[in-house]
Amino acid sequence: MNQQASFWQHNRMVLMFAAVALTMPLWFPFIGGYSGLDTKIMIFCIFLVGFDILLGFTGYLSFGHAAFFGISAYVTGIMLKGYSDNILPAMFVAVIAATLVAVVIGLLTLKRTGIYFSILTLAFAEMFDSMAMAMLQEWTGGENGLTGLPTPMLFDLKMQGATVFYFSAFMAIGLFYVAKRIERSPVGLMMKAIKCNQTRLEYTGINARKYKLLAFIISAVYAAIAGSLMVVYEPFVGHEFLGWHQSGEVVIMSVIGGVGTLVGPMIGAGFMLYFENVLSVNLGEQWLLVLGLIFMAVVVFMPGGFMEAVERLKKRIFTTIDGE
Amino acid sequence: MAILDIHQVSLSFGGLKALQNVHLKIEQGTTHALIGPNGAGKSTLLNVLTGMLKPDDGSVMFDGKPLLDVNSFDINQLGIAKVFQTPSIFPEMTVLQNVTIPVFAARDGSFCLNMLQGRRKQRPLIEFAQEQICELGLENHMYTLAGSLSRGDKRRLEMAICLANKPRLLLLDEPTAGMARHETEKTIELLRGLNGNITKVIVEHDMNVVFSLADKISVLSQGQIIAEGSPDEIKGHPKVIEAYLGEAQV
Repeated sequence: MNQQASFWQHNRMVLMFAAVALTMPLWFPFIGGYSGLDTKIMIFCIFLVGFDILLGFTGYLSFGHAAFFGISAYVTGIMLKGYSDNILPAMFVAVIAATLVAVVIGLLTLKRTGIYFSILTLAFAEMFDSMAMAMLQEWTGGENGLTGLPTPMLFDLKMQGATVFYFSAFMAIGLFYVAKRIERSPVGLMMKAIKCNQTRLEYTGINARKYKLLAFIISAVYAAIAGSLMVVYEPFVGHEFLGWHQSGEVVIMSVIGGVGTLVGPMIGAGFMLYFENVLSVNLGEQWLLVLGLIFMAVVVFMPGGFMEAVERLKKRIFTTIDGE
Repeated sequence: MAILDIHQVSLSFGGLKALQNVHLKIEQGTTHALIGPNGAGKSTLLNVLTGMLKPDDGSVMFDGKPLLDVNSFDINQLGIAKVFQTPSIFPEMTVLQNVTIPVFAARDGSFCLNMLQGRRKQRPLIEFAQEQICELGLENHMYTLAGSLSRGDKRRLEMAICLANKPRLLLLDEPTAGMARHETEKTIELLRGLNGNITKVIVEHDMNVVFSLADKISVLSQGQIIAEGSPDEIKGHPKVIEAYLGEAQV
């Protein structure tokens, strides 16, 4: 009984997310969403939840995570085109490749903190972007992007429409669960301690550098899985996958949703994509302006993002109930 | 037996000789106070012991193992903990989380990939952390955010963090600096009550604290040890009076 209760308590968020995600095709069209956008939201949920392990736990703001997203997407595309249209080997190789790159970049960039770390990660991502545009043009298709990919297959199953959605949704649920597990583990505690007081952590017998690198790599793996899924979702890779714009968007989604809450950045991703693709039609050309205003309002009035609003609301509701 | 053996340690910052040929042996289980005027090199010496500063010359042995060129976290894993002048804690975490970190560090070492470890395996360690917190009298603040504790309680929490992974040597850098009288008294009591096996090195300006705690005192002045002895010996030592008050006063 007790164990059941604690299972529910620990996994409440994951179960709630699973319920929302899996029913999405049913309710999403009613608020103007089209099929396909829901898949993209699931994919970005993966990206963002991983990004929060780095930014939310350790406090290290990377402006270059699009590099892992993009590298993984390119490798997936090249594998689908040249090796096999089965997505499993393609995704596997892509994630491994992006992870190896993350180890190298992590070792180099984590020597610095704060703004220097951010700028270093940005510089690395831009390097990969220009490599994709010029040096590796033959492989990446340069400006035109990587086109002419076959329909991705999961053995005999065509990865299209609802199949891709459920595939991505289950991945997102599973990876959110893993992130929650990491948060509750000793490793999660150490990562959060890095954000609080790195000196004290070192003087408490903990090798903070290794934990930072671990957080960096885990977040890169999440980004790589998301990047690979993007190609499964839409068999095309553009160089903008690697660009600073993509990296920046992830940061904005995190901040709007609520850094460090895991679930917040996913809400941020959903909101941003919905806003960009659905509300922008109603708002016309001014949509970016409105988005900017929303971002500013969040940062100024609710630095904890949407999740802060949720917490405040909860508090208000509970105090009024208690008051009566 | 000397648990800590500092041998001919010298360190300069540019032209300033912060430490010159410092020899110091700290005996196991004693409380050893380092005193001296401002800028004498007391804190510098502590920073050498924790791996934060690398001396130009000399050697430091802790329980037969060299300490120089060892990372701060490895030094802590060897059994040396430091209490900072301003309490250094994890302010955005609860008191319990603060103390759980060193307990994990004691079990898992400086790095461990147990990133999916569940609550069940953590429970005995968390219970141990709770005991530590109770021992230092913070049981009413178990789930309080550490940053919102009073200064005295922050100091207690820092002590709990330092003691949780059972150090053999505790370095204290002015533990009562800026404290009110009654808080200082409480800290003295706290330090007295510690397990007698823990060796303590304490840097302190408050002579009341020094004389009520120390078994042995070393006096540093301009990077050199000018006197060493029991509290009674130090009290009347002419060189000490000279270092503190200047030559004209002798």
